[in-house]
Amino acid sequence: MTAPAPGAQLTRLSLVEAADAVRKGEVTSLALTKAALDAFSAGDKAVNSAIALHAEDALEAAHGLDKLRTAGRSLGPLHGVPLAHKDMYYRAGKRCTCGSKIRKEFRPSYTATAIERLEGAGSITVGALNMAEFAQNPTGHNAHFGDCHNPWHLDYCTGGSSSGSGASVAARFVYGALGSDTGGSIRLPATMCGVTGIKGTQTRVSRYGAMPLSFSADNVGPLARTARDCARLLRIIAGHDARDPTSSSEPVPDYEAGLDGDIRGLVIGIPTNFFFDGADPEVVAAFEAAMKVLEARGARTVRLAVPHMDAVNTYVAIVSRVEGATIHAQWMRDRSQDYNAHLSGRMYSGYAIPAVHYLEALSRRGPILRTVGREVFAKCDVFAAPTIRMKVPTLAATDIDAGAPGSVEAFAAISANTRAINYLGLPSVSVPCGFDSNGLPIGFQVQGRPFGEGRVLRIADAYQRDTAWHTQVPQLVSARS
Amino acid sequence: MSQEIDRQAVVQARLWSGVEPPNRAGEEFARGLAEIAKGFEAQRGQLAFEDEPSSFEAALDELKETAR
Repeated sequence: MTAPAPGAQLTRLSLVEAADAVRKGEVTSLALTKAALDAFSAGDKAVNSAIALHAEDALEAAHGLDKLRTAGRSLGPLHGVPLAHKDMYYRAGKRCTCGSKIRKEFRPSYTATAIERLEGAGSITVGALNMAEFAQNPTGHNAHFGDCHNPWHLDYCTGGSSSGSGASVAARFVYGALGSDTGGSIRLPATMCGVTGIKGTQTRVSRYGAMPLSFSADNVGPLARTARDCARLLRIIAGHDARDPTSSSEPVPDYEAGLDGDIRGLVIGIPTNFFFDGADPEVVAAFEAAMKVLEARGARTVRLAVPHMDAVNTYVAIVSRVEGATIHAQWMRDRSQDYNAHLSGRMYSGYAIPAVHYLEALSRRGPILRTVGREVFAKCDVFAAPTIRMKVPTLAATDIDAGAPGSVEAFAAISANTRAINYLGLPSVSVPCGFDSNGLPIGFQVQGRPFGEGRVLRIADAYQRDTAWHTQVPQLVSARS
Repeated sequence: MSQEIDRQAVVQARLWSGVEPPNRAGEEFARGLAEIAKGFEAQRGQLAFEDEPSSFEAALDELKETAR
C-alpha cells in the first residue's frame, strides 16, 4: 500500500479512480469517507449543498466495507465509494424532505431501487442533498433549507432542481450523486456547476422510491465528474425493476466498456432551429469549439432542422405542470402557504390548463418522436446543442419569491433546451466545455436515439480525453488542498 | 388576453380543483398561460391525429439504438 494521500487530495480523484484505488488496496473506504465528510465540513457552510449528513452511519459502513475487502470480498464496482443523493430518494426509516417544509419530517417505509442498487454495488450514502422544493425549479433556490450556491461563485445559481447534487460534486465533496431530471434537473446543475450528468431514455431507470413530480417525464440519473463515472453509475441503476412497471426491459450494456475514445465516422447533428434562439455568443463560441474537438477526433458534423420544435416547446410547457399540480392538489388546497411562492405559483397555473390540451400534448408525443427519428436520426447518430442558451444567472436575478423582475420568464428560458429533450424521451448527457466571462461553467448536451446511452457517453468521454474542463476545480476546492 | 386568462384561471382552479390563488406569483404564472395558449393555437391544423393506436413507449422501442 502506498502512503495515504491527504484527505483533500483524495477528494480530487474521479469516482472510477477512487473505486479502483479501494479495489487495489491503495486507500481505504474509511479514508475516502472521512475525506468526504471533512470536505463537507470545510466547504459546505458556504455552498449549502447538503440537507443532512449521515456521518456515523457512513463511517460504520465504510469500516464494514474495509473489513470485507481485507477478507477478499467486494460488493461491486462502487465498493467503498462515498456518494450523496438528492433528498428525494427514499431510504426506509430515514428522513426524506424532498426539499420541502411539507415533508420535513417524512420518513418513508421503503428504499428506492436506485439507492438499493448503488449501495448493493458497494457505495456509501453519506448524506441527503439540497434540491429545489419538490424538484420544481431550474435555479437552486430553496427558502426552506437555504439556497444552494454555485461553488464557482457563490452569488450564482447552481441550476436545479438537483442543486446539491451538482454543487457537491463540483465542490469535490462527493464523487457522484443521484439527481432527477423532468425538464433538465440533472443537466442544468451539471452544466452550471461544471460537472457531467446524464438522463437516460425515458423508462431506462426505475423510479420506484423516487419522489414523483411528473409521471410522463421523470428520470433518475447520476451527476459525476466524468463521463466514465456516469457510465459506471448508470449501468448500476439502469434496467427493469418489477416494482416500477414503467421501467424498460431493454438490456443494459456495459457502458464503460464502450468508452474507447473512437468516434471516427460518427455523425453529430447541430440543429439549425430552436436550440440556438437568442443564445449568448459566449455559449455559442464554447459550443462550436467543442464540436471542433469532436471533429478532430474523427466525428463529422451536419447542420439540420429538428422538426416540430414549436409543438414540442408548447406541449412540454404544460405536461409536468399539470402532472405536478395533480400530485400536489390536496396540499395546494390545505396548505399552499407552506410552499415557496415560485412553486405554489407555478403549480397553481396547472389547474387552469384544459384537459384536452394536456391530452393533446401527451398523444402527440409518440408521433413527434417518430418524425424526429425519420428526419434527424436518419441523417446523424446524435445531435448536440448548448445545455442552456444563456450564461449562468445569479440567484438574485432569478428569485421569484423576492419579486425579481423577469424572473418568471427566466425560469422558462433556463430549461428551454433541456425540457424539450424530456418530451422526446431521449437520452442526453451534459458535458462541461468552458467558462464564461463571469468565470462560470458552460456545457453542451448530446442526445442519442432511445436506449443510445452508450453512444452519447462515448462521445462525452472522447471529448473529455482531449479537454480538461471537467478537471477544473473551483477556488474553494483549491483552498482546501 | 392575459388578464382574461388570469380571471379564467381563478374560476377554473376554484371550480374543478378547489384551489385558490396562493400569491402574486400564481397570478403571474397564470397570465403566462396566454403565451402557451397561443402556442396551441399555432399548432391547429399542423398535426393530424392518427387513426391507429399509438404509444410513446412503442415509438421509443421502434427508434432504439441498435449498434451499441
